[in-house]
Amino acid sequence: MAKILMKGNEAIAEAAIKAGGNNYFCYPITPQTEVAEYLAKRMPEVGGVFLQGESELAVANMIFGAAATGKRVFTTSSSPGISLMQEAISYMAGAELPCVIVNIMRGGPGLGGILPAQSDYFQSVKGGGHGDYRLLVLAPSTVQEAVDLMMLSFHLADKYSNPVMMIGDGMIGQMMEPVEFPDVYEEPELPEKTWAITGAKGRKPRVVRSLFLDPNKLENNSWHLYDKYELMKKNEVRFEKYKVNDKNEILIVSYGTMARICQTAIDEIEKEGVSIGLFRPISLFPFPQDDIFTEASKKNIKNVLVIEMSTGQMIEDVERAVVGKKKVTFFGRTGGIVPSPEEVIKKIKEMVSKKSKTKKKA
Amino acid sequence: MLTDSRSQKWELPQIEKPINIIVGGYGSGKSEVSVNLARYLALDKTFVNRPISILDLDIVNPYFRSREASVELEKLGIGSINPEGAEFYADLPIILPQIRGAIETAEGTVICDVGGDDVGARVLSSLAGSFHAATYDMVLVLNLSRPFTSNVAGCLKTISEIEFSSRLKFSGIISNTHLMDDTNEEIVLSGIALSKEVSKQTGLKLWFVSAEQKILNIIESAYIDIPVLPLNRSLLKPWE
Amino acid sequence: MNTDEKTIFARPEGMTDIVTHYCPGCTHGIIHRLAAEAIDSLGIRENTVGVAPVGCSVLAYNYFNCDFLESPHGRAPAIATGFKRLRPDMIVFTYQGDGDLISIGMSEIMHAANRGEKLTAIFVNNAIYGMTGGQMAPTTLQGQITSTCPSGRDLNETGHPIRMTELLSGLVTPMYLERVSVHSPKHIIQAKKAIRKAFQYQIDNKGFSLVEVLSTCPTNWGQTPNESTDWLEGNMIPYYPLGCFKDSFADEDK
Repeated sequence: MAKILMKGNEAIAEAAIKAGGNNYFCYPITPQTEVAEYLAKRMPEVGGVFLQGESELAVANMIFGAAATGKRVFTTSSSPGISLMQEAISYMAGAELPCVIVNIMRGGPGLGGILPAQSDYFQSVKGGGHGDYRLLVLAPSTVQEAVDLMMLSFHLADKYSNPVMMIGDGMIGQMMEPVEFPDVYEEPELPEKTWAITGAKGRKPRVVRSLFLDPNKLENNSWHLYDKYELMKKNEVRFEKYKVNDKNEILIVSYGTMARICQTAIDEIEKEGVSIGLFRPISLFPFPQDDIFTEASKKNIKNVLVIEMSTGQMIEDVERAVVGKKKVTFFGRTGGIVPSPEEVIKKIKEMVSKKSKTKKKA
Repeated sequence: MLTDSRSQKWELPQIEKPINIIVGGYGSGKSEVSVNLARYLALDKTFVNRPISILDLDIVNPYFRSREASVELEKLGIGSINPEGAEFYADLPIILPQIRGAIETAEGTVICDVGGDDVGARVLSSLAGSFHAATYDMVLVLNLSRPFTSNVAGCLKTISEIEFSSRLKFSGIISNTHLMDDTNEEIVLSGIALSKEVSKQTGLKLWFVSAEQKILNIIESAYIDIPVLPLNRSLLKPWE
Repeated sequence: MNTDEKTIFARPEGMTDIVTHYCPGCTHGIIHRLAAEAIDSLGIRENTVGVAPVGCSVLAYNYFNCDFLESPHGRAPAIATGFKRLRPDMIVFTYQGDGDLISIGMSEIMHAANRGEKLTAIFVNNAIYGMTGGQMAPTTLQGQITSTCPSGRDLNETGHPIRMTELLSGLVTPMYLERVSVHSPKHIIQAKKAIRKAFQYQIDNKGFSLVEVLSTCPTNWGQTPNESTDWLEGNMIPYYPLGCFKDSFADEDK
């Protein structure tokens, strides 16, 4: 298929359809409402289901009911709406229902603002709802990657029978970029959905639930989920390295569109002879912790710099990965302020000059 | 920039009416065209119908709006009416009362940058009374690379949807086919071909083609037989 | 063996042979059975999915012999909506109590009803929270003592008990709304008809139906089973009048 120009939100919507996710429930919220507007036009064309619910609370539960059919379902929202969805997300994780949830993040806490942020990292990666569960979390940095990861999300949701969350800051949803869709979405074979609710015809009734009153059974379920998450850690770690080499003085760790700003900064400062590498996690859970450790441990790396559009959330996972081997520094802007490449360069220069001063003293 | 425009190989667009409403699908490039048109008129010393002002009527999309360029435009003497303080950043459907006034008095040349699709154009309907009293041109910005306007049928559908929701009639077309950084000569020229076909079928005048200066530089002058507005992008992504 | 023996009463196929956990005198068992009998008589068991609430009937999926979903508290109508929209060919019913449906789930039931989801809601009203041990419900009557209104429900503090079926009948879209009771055989027969009709309407794709069933809670009311049926008749029915509040196809039935 030829390249077309799409807004992130539309591209995410179209990618879902391409991946067979043509069952969508939604509630409007800036900056992701275009997904709903796009699908309101597209779903009737492809014979899919489109429904605007009365709240994100209801929408997430509609997703729960819809996912129980065994068909591919998804919803999209932005930070405050995602907070309201946490109830059903926890239930779906407990009941092992596959679904895809997209969070086009805006600044918080509370009603916050409508401009881009990455301040829902903890919520996405560390649970969000109650109980011992994890979501598989993916973070694209371009509209094309949002398309690719959206399609992959449906596959991974089915593969692990688990909700998958794709998070992007408001920029990912709002910006226009050229994208290409595959004519046919090809994916590896998936296990049969032997749990799907289809009516007890010629078989025993099935129940989709997260209730286990017997603590032994609940514990078993939790350890079963744990094993699944361990399997994700083994198989689904995704990341990208940019200009990572043995001349790097600093390793930047950054994700999403923030990583693109870091790339521009790295290119600029390279002209001044400063070599910086970028490690961009694509899967936030499972987190590429071993690979960050490997890169950060290298002799030439003096310092690890984590850059986020938050006051510092992913940094905790980076620190855990680096296990004190190297100093981990943070730079971030939040509340809808997107750091400029110049600000990133300034931060790098500060760190580099500090180091040379220390060297002189030594 | 001024030299770019003056030294170019093609005729520049002619603006005739006091009110110029720039409408189109999401992502057709309305805001970029509006900002560049205002800038071009401001810099064109032969253009007499002054002052020039730009009205951001995009209440649909809170990102990449023409109001983001307002500081730069102000330096060129281009007026704008934007919500002040925190409301500048809001996704609230704020239409300041001054906007109605600006349309009705239509001093000089006014460029209205409207939100995308029929949804974005609905705001025009709330101002229809003011527009009907003025002399306006409403033009459709067409981008062949966008999914809903990739063929003539899609364009015709967009035209009728926007005319319905805005309660105003189109008088012209701007061919703004592009694929951001992937734009090439072929994309710009095929966009013109589509716009000509739409123009033929609707009777709407093909106003001009707009494209980034760097693309125009590589196109042979014989390939374009309509006026051209060279674009210098103002609404950039943070890493650009 | 007497060959003249004939089965005149048996467990409906729609129910499993698991002994329920319900207290003596609680009417959940009767209401389950009425729903199962309706499912049997309409021949829809193999094509039906129930949505269980949070409340005393949280384990309903153990007792019904059909596919089931276990919903978060109050969200059964949203769960059922999601399912039904993807499987309009299947029969979907929710089974909810008064805390679940009126208190925490007010928004979900109102909107599902108003969208005209092709669902059947069985709403069990016993004027109290049973599961958590007898707290005040939105349906608790004036002066009724519960663990969270130990001096009796004070209308000045908590407002009046909500008459849900009347409230829903203010909406244009719902097709069939009826309040029944199961405190006497006569009433059980009426309730059976209503529940069957609510399923029939879904089979005929007619729209949203809800049957409110007045029920007892001897344990949390602190009454014997007999006292509790008397209390229901003497106190609940005067405030929650029985009858059909809406039947958009009543003429067709005649």
